Amino acid sequence: MNEFGGVVRVRGLFKEHGQGQGLVRAVDGVDLEVPAGQMLAVMGPSGCGKSTLLHLLGGLERPSDGQVWLAGQRIDTVNERGLARLRRRSVGFVFQAFHLIEELSAAENVELPVLLAGRSARAARRRAAFLLERFGLADRTRHLPWQLSGGQRQRVAIARAMANEPLVLLADEPTGNLDTAATLDVLRIFADLRAAGQTLVVVTHDERVAATADRLVTMRDGMFVDDTQLAGRTGRLDGLIGLED
Amino acid sequence: MGRTLLIFRLVLADVRRHPAQAVMLLVSITAATAMLSLGMSLHGATETLYRQTRAATAGPDFVAFSPGSDRTATSALTSLEHAPEVVAHSGPYRQFSTTLTARGATANVVVQGAGATPGPVDRPLVTSGSWVRPGGVVVERGFANALGVHVGDHVTVAGRSLPIVGIAVTAAYTVYPWAEMGAEGPGDNSGLVWLNEPDTRALVSANLSVTSAIYLKLRDPAATQAFLDSHRASVDPNQTTTHFVTWQFMVVQDSVMLKDSQPILVIGSWLLCFLAIAGVATLAAGRAAKQTRRVGLLKAVGATPGFIAAVLLAEYLTLALLADALGLTAARLAEPALINPTASLITAAAGPTGTTIAVTTIIALAVAALTTLGPTVRALRTETVAALADTAHQPQHRAHLTRISAMLPAPLLLGLRLIARRPGRAILHACNMTATLTAIIALLMLNAQPARGYGLGGSSSLTNLKVDQGRHMMLAVTAALIILAVINTITITWTTAQEARPTMAIARTLGATPGQITAGLSVAQLLPTLPGALAGIPMGITLCLIFSAGDVTWPPAWLLFTAALAALPATAALTAVPARIAARKSVAQTLSAEAT
Ligand SMILES: Nc1ncnc2c1ncn2[C@@H]1O[C@H](COP(=O)(O)OP(=O)(O)OP(=O)(O)O)[C@@H](O)[C@H]1O
Ligand SMILES: [Mg+2]
Repeated sequence: MNEFGGVVRVRGLFKEHGQGQGLVRAVDGVDLEVPAGQMLAVMGPSGCGKSTLLHLLGGLERPSDGQVWLAGQRIDTVNERGLARLRRRSVGFVFQAFHLIEELSAAENVELPVLLAGRSARAARRRAAFLLERFGLADRTRHLPWQLSGGQRQRVAIARAMANEPLVLLADEPTGNLDTAATLDVLRIFADLRAAGQTLVVVTHDERVAATADRLVTMRDGMFVDDTQLAGRTGRLDGLIGLED
Repeated sequence: MGRTLLIFRLVLADVRRHPAQAVMLLVSITAATAMLSLGMSLHGATETLYRQTRAATAGPDFVAFSPGSDRTATSALTSLEHAPEVVAHSGPYRQFSTTLTARGATANVVVQGAGATPGPVDRPLVTSGSWVRPGGVVVERGFANALGVHVGDHVTVAGRSLPIVGIAVTAAYTVYPWAEMGAEGPGDNSGLVWLNEPDTRALVSANLSVTSAIYLKLRDPAATQAFLDSHRASVDPNQTTTHFVTWQFMVVQDSVMLKDSQPILVIGSWLLCFLAIAGVATLAAGRAAKQTRRVGLLKAVGATPGFIAAVLLAEYLTLALLADALGLTAARLAEPALINPTASLITAAAGPTGTTIAVTTIIALAVAALTTLGPTVRALRTETVAALADTAHQPQHRAHLTRISAMLPAPLLLGLRLIARRPGRAILHACNMTATLTAIIALLMLNAQPARGYGLGGSSSLTNLKVDQGRHMMLAVTAALIILAVINTITITWTTAQEARPTMAIARTLGATPGQITAGLSVAQLLPTLPGALAGIPMGITLCLIFSAGDVTWPPAWLLFTAALAALPATAALTAVPARIAARKSVAQTLSAEAT
């Protein structure tokens, strides 16, 4: 993919919040490399810095120290505009709270990043229709977020994150607000994306989600305490599906 | 008592937490009530001043004029003295119509012959210097102000240079420049001076037009017209030469000076009221979500709906009452400077009448109540749990606008979608602009009208005070409207930005730049600005046409359009700062705050 061999690469990453007595090291010296096509799961207790790490990877926050590369490009030194362009083209975010725009329909939510990237309304419509169909929402395109179930909302959010074919999809507890069935829907989509070669970083509290990943990183107090390659992957998902049936 | 105190404390805490909003509410309602109070007090102000001047100068109940100064002229006048209803008189005096030059300006002047001590009726109040003495002239105060002359200066009367020995005020003449009362119909603009009787002999030889005047006081001043009706025939059988001016007529004539100003102030105050409502409504709506949550909290701890309504309304109503008091006080302070533009009358402020106080108070309370009632009722109706979660509101889907905006560049797309979120606010902003531009256009129209100066032959070496007063009022109204429009524009942008913050943060995660967000927020205000401002052109013109008496001189069309289009860069500049601040907020923090 690039000279460093990873879609995402991080060296000596620090992020501090607050100062003096209230200083918090949310991320405390992290090194990481995510190769293209890998699904990386990040686990750890609450407050250990998982969300912060994800924000740093996607350029939503700036590190206090250290370097972040995305597709071989340093992003910690890029200005706000550059970061915006990067998010538009190279990163897709999925949040626990969905964060759909409530006054836009499902299709319009998915179209938005395509339009922001400067592509035509037609291209945006086509892309949204394709993604929503692919994620099993063909009959929900005109619904507003509040008319959708939690699982459907999250699938719309993933479709929106995938709208511009990002290099990496960053998901922060994507199943945190979902029940088992909806979680499985999301996992199926992730499996589907990974099969197509999509790089994914998923922060999760859910063992089942982590189990479907290629690799699992465990964080504690802003640091990586464990980094494990997981074997056979689709099998696990199939197992879960079986469990549900 | 405890409840009242609690309400008061809650209100105070809220004001302290949102001081800018409290100030904004105070400023808008104060401006509106001050303007309204001024407009309303203008109505009777002239009469008050005239009555005061009349009392201070032993003003006549009527003046009788007869052309010439020979025996026939004076005998007709003196015959009136003996009528049983007449209790006192002064004169007859001779009046000459000539010209006066001072400091490069020449004007018509009525030279009134006067004794060293004035008679019992019409004893002009000397405001500086002394009363007439041989070789010195006393100038009526309005005239002196217009000329810019003071005691000790020299003026040239009918070719003769004389020092000014005094400046005085009288109720026997209508205000400057309407001293020429001797003839039927409006005479030419003319000032008034008094000259010692012996000194006027030089004017007789100069062959100037001369009139005799007598000042009379009646037993019943209210019956002046009835007295004239019964005596006119005996004094002047042909009813051609003698001319009478009653004090009641003088009141009416003096008020003409303020005739233009009153509608300007009253209509201006309506526009200001509208802007106040628009601004306060935006504020109230912007706070609605927070208020709803506050209501949920109060309900959760067991507050009754009545108590909660009192808490929510008390703040706005208290501020409105405070603003009303401020507005009335401001009007009272500004009044002396407005009601006596000629300075020909004794300046005194009448203060607002009971009606004025009642009307402004009702309007101030109405502005506060109307704009907050909706959000308050809605907040009260919301279920407690929903109120705490603030999930009560369901967004409107505007598919059409969304589809159109999809074809536009990002800033326009974001801007249009912001408008789609709150179309009412865009309309409010457009109306804001219409109100402001209406005033600006009216001001330009007013300034384009030719004004006949008060100098000789309409020369503008002496300002037309009536027109000038109208223009000043229009300028004041326009300035007040612009200030409120500025406040409103900032409020609307800020409120929109606050409400749209989660949406804009999401757009940022999807790759919108801070610049695009800023531009989008500005566009949301700029789009309604243009139609709103353009609508102000016909509105302003219409207003001027309604109140213009005769022919209208049109200002160049480009001037009107430039004024309207100037609203665009002005709005862009005003929205830039709040939009930029809002766009710079941290995305991660906004989103995590949204999730709680
Ligand atoms: N804006 C901020 N200001 C101050 N401290 C912050 C801020 N954001 C995060 N933190 C702190 O940084 C640490 C890491 O936060 P982060 O949200 O990354 O944790 P997390 O691992 O995602 O937790 P969770 O699993 O509960 O979501 C926490 O201790 C948190 O309190
Ligand atoms: Mg987190």
